[in-house]
Amino acid sequence: MIGDRRWVLTATAVGVAGGIAATALAVSRWQEGRFERAAALRIAATTAAYLAVVVPAASDSTDFDLSKLLVQARALTTLPGRTSAVEVYHGTAPLVDATAPPLPAAALATLRREAGGGWRDGRALMPLVDPACQEVIGAVAIGPARTGAAALLLRWALPAGVLAVLVAAGAVAGRRPLRQYTVAALLVGVAAYADVRGAARRATDRWLVETRLLLQEAATRLPTPRARVALGDLAPLVGTAALVAADSAGPAPDRLRVAGRRYAVVAARLGAGRWVQVRTEADEGFTTGWLVLLVGLALSGPLALRGLRWVEQAARRRQELRETAAAWGFLAPAALHLALFSFGPMVFALYLSLRGSGTAARPSIGLGNFAAHLRDPLAWVALRNTVLYALYVPVSVALALVVALVLNHAGGGVGGRRARRAARLLRAAFLLPYVASVVAVALLWQWMYHPDFGLLNYLLSFGGVGPHDWLGSSRTALIAVMLLSIWAQVGYQIAVLLAGLENIPRAYVDAARVDGATAWRRFRRITWPLLRPVTLFVLVTGIIGAFQVFTYVHVLTRGGPLHATDVAVHRIYQTAWELQQFGPASALSLCLFLILFGATWAQFRLLGRRVEYA
Amino acid sequence: MASVTLRGLNKTFEGAAQAAVRDVSLEVRDGELLVLLGPSGCGKTTVLRCIAGLEDPTAGEVLIGDRVVTDLPPGERDVAMVFQSYALYPHLTVRENIAFALEARGVATREIARRVAETAARLELGDLLDRRPEQLSGGQRQRVALARAIVRAPLLFLFDEPLSNLDAPLRIELRAELLALHRALRTTMVYVTHDQVEAMTMGQRIAVLHEGRLRQVGTPADVYERPADIFVARLVGSPGMNVLEGRGRGRGDEGRVVEAGSLVVPVALAEYEGQLFLGVRPEHVGLCAVDQGVGNADVLVVEPRGNETIVHLNVAGQALVARLPGLMDVQLGTRVGVKLDRRRLHLFDAAGIRIA
Repeated sequence: MIGDRRWVLTATAVGVAGGIAATALAVSRWQEGRFERAAALRIAATTAAYLAVVVPAASDSTDFDLSKLLVQARALTTLPGRTSAVEVYHGTAPLVDATAPPLPAAALATLRREAGGGWRDGRALMPLVDPACQEVIGAVAIGPARTGAAALLLRWALPAGVLAVLVAAGAVAGRRPLRQYTVAALLVGVAAYADVRGAARRATDRWLVETRLLLQEAATRLPTPRARVALGDLAPLVGTAALVAADSAGPAPDRLRVAGRRYAVVAARLGAGRWVQVRTEADEGFTTGWLVLLVGLALSGPLALRGLRWVEQAARRRQELRETAAAWGFLAPAALHLALFSFGPMVFALYLSLRGSGTAARPSIGLGNFAAHLRDPLAWVALRNTVLYALYVPVSVALALVVALVLNHAGGGVGGRRARRAARLLRAAFLLPYVASVVAVALLWQWMYHPDFGLLNYLLSFGGVGPHDWLGSSRTALIAVMLLSIWAQVGYQIAVLLAGLENIPRAYVDAARVDGATAWRRFRRITWPLLRPVTLFVLVTGIIGAFQVFTYVHVLTRGGPLHATDVAVHRIYQTAWELQQFGPASALSLCLFLILFGATWAQFRLLGRRVEYA
Repeated sequence: MASVTLRGLNKTFEGAAQAAVRDVSLEVRDGELLVLLGPSGCGKTTVLRCIAGLEDPTAGEVLIGDRVVTDLPPGERDVAMVFQSYALYPHLTVRENIAFALEARGVATREIARRVAETAARLELGDLLDRRPEQLSGGQRQRVALARAIVRAPLLFLFDEPLSNLDAPLRIELRAELLALHRALRTTMVYVTHDQVEAMTMGQRIAVLHEGRLRQVGTPADVYERPADIFVARLVGSPGMNVLEGRGRGRGDEGRVVEAGSLVVPVALAEYEGQLFLGVRPEHVGLCAVDQGVGNADVLVVEPRGNETIVHLNVAGQALVARLPGLMDVQLGTRVGVKLDRRRLHLFDAAGIRIA
């Protein structure tokens, strides 16, 4: 019976491990295909550009000289060192291999309609564009790299996957099984990532090699005097990559760091003593995200195994399992809601923050957004303003504490009935701004701060102080917003602190009175420490809220003047919605989240050490 | 050490329809332990808080010693109070709790340390000084509250139901400790409780309060044996005194009798006609054969307690409880004769005031 269960467990473990290893393998294979297709497309584009450069236009039309095009296209196949099969179509007719089937008219129509080429019958298709009138007059097709399937399977991920499956099988029987399997799974993840990275590197290299050959060939075939080949004539070949003059070098592609960025480079010889370097961003630089993904995927195996063990153990305690299931049942609505609307967006923001600015073709640009954010002075200004703005919270809490103490004193039967009623009224009055619409409050204060007919300037005019444009001056704008925030928040803080004060058992204060403590001493030694959890709560939630301030700023100043009130969330809003850069905006959001997380943690550590939950 | 004098003390809380304390005048002698006894809501805690200065009386005076303290804040009255909830400051250690009052009075640090150590030793709190109240058991908290009071060596101790949150065995133990403490300190103490056993065992004198009024002040024996009214009679004793409603009447040469339900009880009463109440303690009720006593009764409930047997009887519609020594074999539902100890009868008039 026990042996049976062991067998089932082993089989399940092997199944889980095998499935996950296979998934990791499939993911790396899929990525490999993606990079290969991207490389083929790029080579096709380069080839098309090459043809456009070297084939002169026909004298009687805007089209290429067809005979020259035929010659040049055929010459491509004889070029030594080329690795990919090439076909050139003029219209739908194949030029290189005349017996090949013609290009379907629909494919050509698609190429005409959509820029960026396409993928058809396992080949990359790029339009052949007539340089004179920018019209698609044909196509260039590039086959995939000639690599065997066996070579693919025998790279890193497969052996690592087999190892993981074996370890998972042994794990069930062995000692410290989970640890072993975790190490093996980690290996699978890293291996699969190595495959992805390798594929990206190979794809970049393949393009570089082909581009080098075509560049050198173009230099010899250009109709203009060979010695005078200009870099500008060759620039269309490399597309988005850079072409710079350089020293001589070997034919193999290389990696080079220029101004802090990594480039994939290759040198090409244009003529005697004339060398250029093709410089493009290396594809493998954008695969960092896959490391996280693949390692996470691989580690889900050990996690699943851990879960399996737990289920097995819990099955022995059926009651416990049932209770856990019931608990999750009850938790499910809230957990689902949290997952969908809290954690989901957070993960999505994380994903966005690693991507480019929405329009970028790159799959991801890694931590570049964060680095860019660190270099952006406006982000720092926004951060500084946010910190300055948050300073209103301690001021407001101190004010609220004083008012709450007074109201508590008056309402606690020390004063008469009238005092109690007044205390109740005041409490409600203080709370009003908090429950009022935020935009309405902001508009009200906008009027109060108005330089010409604002209430504030009117009142100040009695004191002989000249009118001041409170929101219009970069010196006072932030302070003006802070004042408004105090006014809006203090009522809420008073209400919470009052509730806290009323929660402190009266006996403590009575005992202190009998003990002969003065009012100040009673506050400092008894009331204040007992109120500390509530104060902490008000302070932390207030600071979190202050770091998230948006509406007041958006309505009153829109971050101005001169970014004087540009706070973090406003900066995020502008980056995302006005500049349409969601990646950097998400990166900034995550920075804000990390800051808030750290600040909250620190506050709990500092103030929470002697928090009393009386 | 000092006496406490209350003169015409009145307290009406704001918004309340009735006064919490009405015309309470009372003297607590120097060094005495006086218990304020009454059911919940009778105003005993309010009286205590007026003495402490935590409530301002609506009218009347409070004197501690010869000093009128009515308008003095609590801190200047030199009293120490032990609260029902103990009110130990939860964020302070036991040591800090005990030292708090001394610090507030500006006592020198070294002196504070000495006195805290001395008090802790006296109450066996030495090992607990660095703990927080939440880490203490109920009995330990009670001891800390006591320590906090006695470390100050005040003129007067006030106790507000200090034992009511403890379980029975601990309560009995601490009751004895408190008494020992009182004997050792010889300081005046005012002790509030609703538990008549506590009042009887601890008080040198007992002051019974009911609905804000002082009903009787006297030694435990006084209160037990000569209750001033029906309320006190029923409150004190366990079970309380039986009170039967009846009529007093002359009956020729046999003297005067009280007819209560089916009972006809001869009493030594000079002259009283009409409605009155006859009180008799359960231990002064005896059972006998039918028609042999002052009347007959039906047995409703029997509670054998080992050392005694409590029998609940029905005397023509009125309840009568008998407390018989030892285990008695009394059958439920039978009819029995009732005997009363004639020398231990209490008579109250129609208003409930004692007449004999």
